[in-house]
Amino acid sequence: MSVTLTLHTQPEVPLEAECLSPDRLATLDQAGIAALPVLHGNRNMTVGDFFSVDGGKDLTVRIIGDLGRVKHVATGMSGGHLIIDGNIGSHLGLGMSGGEITVTGHAGDWVGPEMGGGRIVVRGDAGHMVGSAYRGSKVGMRGGEIIVHGRIGNEAGNGMRRGMIAVAADSGDFTGVNMIAGSIFVLGRLGARSGAGMKRGTIVSLHDAEVLPTYSYAACYHPVFLRHYLLRLRQLGLPVEEAHLGGRYRRWSGDSVELNRGEILLFAG
Amino acid sequence: MGDNIKIIENATCTFCGCVCDDMHLTVDLDEKKITKAKNACVLGRAWFAQHGIPDYPQATIGGKEASVEDAVEEAAQILAEAKFPIIYGLSDTTCEAQRHAVAIADLIHGCIDTTTSVCHGPSGIAFQGVGESTATLGEVKNRADFIMYWGGNPAESHPRHFTRYAVTTKGLYTPNGKKDRTVVLVDVRKTPSAPVADIFLSVKPGRDFELAWALRALVKGRKLDPSIEQVTGVSLATLEDLVDRMKNCRYGVLFFGMGLTMTRGRHFNSGAVLALTTDLNEFTHFVAKPVRGHGNVTGADNVLSWQTGYPFGVNFSRGFPRFNPGEFTTVDTLARGDADAALIIASDPASNFPRKAIEHLGAIPVIALDTKQTQTTNLARVAFITATYGINTAGTVYRMDDVPITLRKAFDSPYPTDEEILTAIRRRVQALCGGPAVPLRKVS
Ligand code: SF4
Repeated sequence: MSVTLTLHTQPEVPLEAECLSPDRLATLDQAGIAALPVLHGNRNMTVGDFFSVDGGKDLTVRIIGDLGRVKHVATGMSGGHLIIDGNIGSHLGLGMSGGEITVTGHAGDWVGPEMGGGRIVVRGDAGHMVGSAYRGSKVGMRGGEIIVHGRIGNEAGNGMRRGMIAVAADSGDFTGVNMIAGSIFVLGRLGARSGAGMKRGTIVSLHDAEVLPTYSYAACYHPVFLRHYLLRLRQLGLPVEEAHLGGRYRRWSGDSVELNRGEILLFAG
Repeated sequence: MGDNIKIIENATCTFCGCVCDDMHLTVDLDEKKITKAKNACVLGRAWFAQHGIPDYPQATIGGKEASVEDAVEEAAQILAEAKFPIIYGLSDTTCEAQRHAVAIADLIHGCIDTTTSVCHGPSGIAFQGVGESTATLGEVKNRADFIMYWGGNPAESHPRHFTRYAVTTKGLYTPNGKKDRTVVLVDVRKTPSAPVADIFLSVKPGRDFELAWALRALVKGRKLDPSIEQVTGVSLATLEDLVDRMKNCRYGVLFFGMGLTMTRGRHFNSGAVLALTTDLNEFTHFVAKPVRGHGNVTGADNVLSWQTGYPFGVNFSRGFPRFNPGEFTTVDTLARGDADAALIIASDPASNFPRKAIEHLGAIPVIALDTKQTQTTNLARVAFITATYGINTAGTVYRMDDVPITLRKAFDSPYPTDEEILTAIRRRVQALCGGPAVPLRKVS
């Protein structure tokens, strides 16, 4: 029987609930889940103080309510399916390694920071630092997929090493900053200074964009691999049009202050 | 002027981050006024002249006069009860007081943040991400032959920076002062600092990052397109000449200000000039320093760093320090409505924060310490008027180059010091929260 948690009391201050991860809930019954510890500001509370719990011992978990103040959900998640019916606060899926998270509303900052695997799908917008490295850490997302159907904020994929971030709408400034490798697809407009300090990796946008002076123009061509990626993104429900699949892309290589092995591909029609 | 005159040599001005410690103060002890401040700049003179003994109640609760003891009790109760208390300010008080503020944050498992988060916080993030090649201002004075100011106007904000530390001053290896130095100024418009510069680069607003990135590319020997002029407003030839001078100087210094850290790009702007400095060390000795505003904002960074490991935006909810600007910085915790109590020390966020943050500040219990009545003390549930650091209290402050400097007291104030109030709050909070019994330094 799947697990459903419904928010009955809105937290007054940020609530840190890293225990809300399907693989951890799967071993517990209703009472066990309700007794799990959460941190309400600086006070120790339990899941039951904020959520009514229905069901137990299942890898599919649905959480219903506006969880905009609830942070660190699904920290280190390794499997199962978590559906968040509403908004979610920051640090969703921190360091997750497997499974899938679906958010029907908007997500806060730090979606999937330093994640290693699995998939996060956000139907609304996501905040800053999607798939990023934490401050003081060099490596961000190491694998997995983050799909955002709305917009994302600044510094998505900061220090990203592997994996994919795909965004249906626009991205903020410094998308793919300090990227080590991996792929970022922005179907809308790319924010300013994207790819600054990038070593390797691919940033794609379906619109033209201003690139940094340390990038050099290479060619306008049709990259074969892109068609496969874009078809997959279309399958995942992102608005990829026919023209994008077979179109030509301007390739900029950089960042020359770093390795210069990265690329920004901008749709040219 | 009365007869009861005291002269204080080598006093310290705490008005700006230069923290000049060569003040020669004439104090009228009867009038409780500083009548003359030799060596001070125009800002310093105004700072010393404005301080007398104000006529405010020492403490208020809900706007009504109260005893300091009652106010301390009320403050401690508020902080101990709060689930997400925040502490903010701290840049205009002594390190001794700042220390107690950190201890309180630790005891109440709250957030602690300083005005750094709204000035050079981005530099704090950049230091962590990029690293810092640094020097004291004494070294700059004696050795530097290439000085660059980026996004700052020291002639108006730090008037003695040129004469005492970096431009006209004569040092061991710069015996001819300005003649031995090349001075470069980068800004979006000609400020009163511009006349001092040998080279002035007028960068297009919001294009500092591109400019720094272009300089990095040139330092690394990469090719740049001449279209860089359309992007940054500075021609490729000028940039090439500048890079040539930077690489060939004996000792270069890059001072950067809020024009860089608070414009689009923020910590990446700071990070770009720090990385540029690192790159230049392949060729010569180069250092970078932020030009800090408030008298002891550098001390706040130092105290927080040595006690928590991080310079600002620190949270203790879990009992150990966590650092995350944007999450634990005060503007954000207020604007998002996270904080449920605030302790504000020597700062006036109610007058200079974004509207949403001020609204939330008005909706939660606030405890404020300041030397005068401000918008923050006016909206505070508990307010303390305290003695002014460097004028009525001794103590330690850090100059912008992280050098600690001792303050000398000019005259006594009937008001308690920040340190005394914070010590009292700390003791009471400790009793209420049951924190570890840390031996407290006796305050005179
Ligand atoms: S430069 Fe700053 S510290 Fe020095 S006297 Fe002027 S205001 Fe005071």
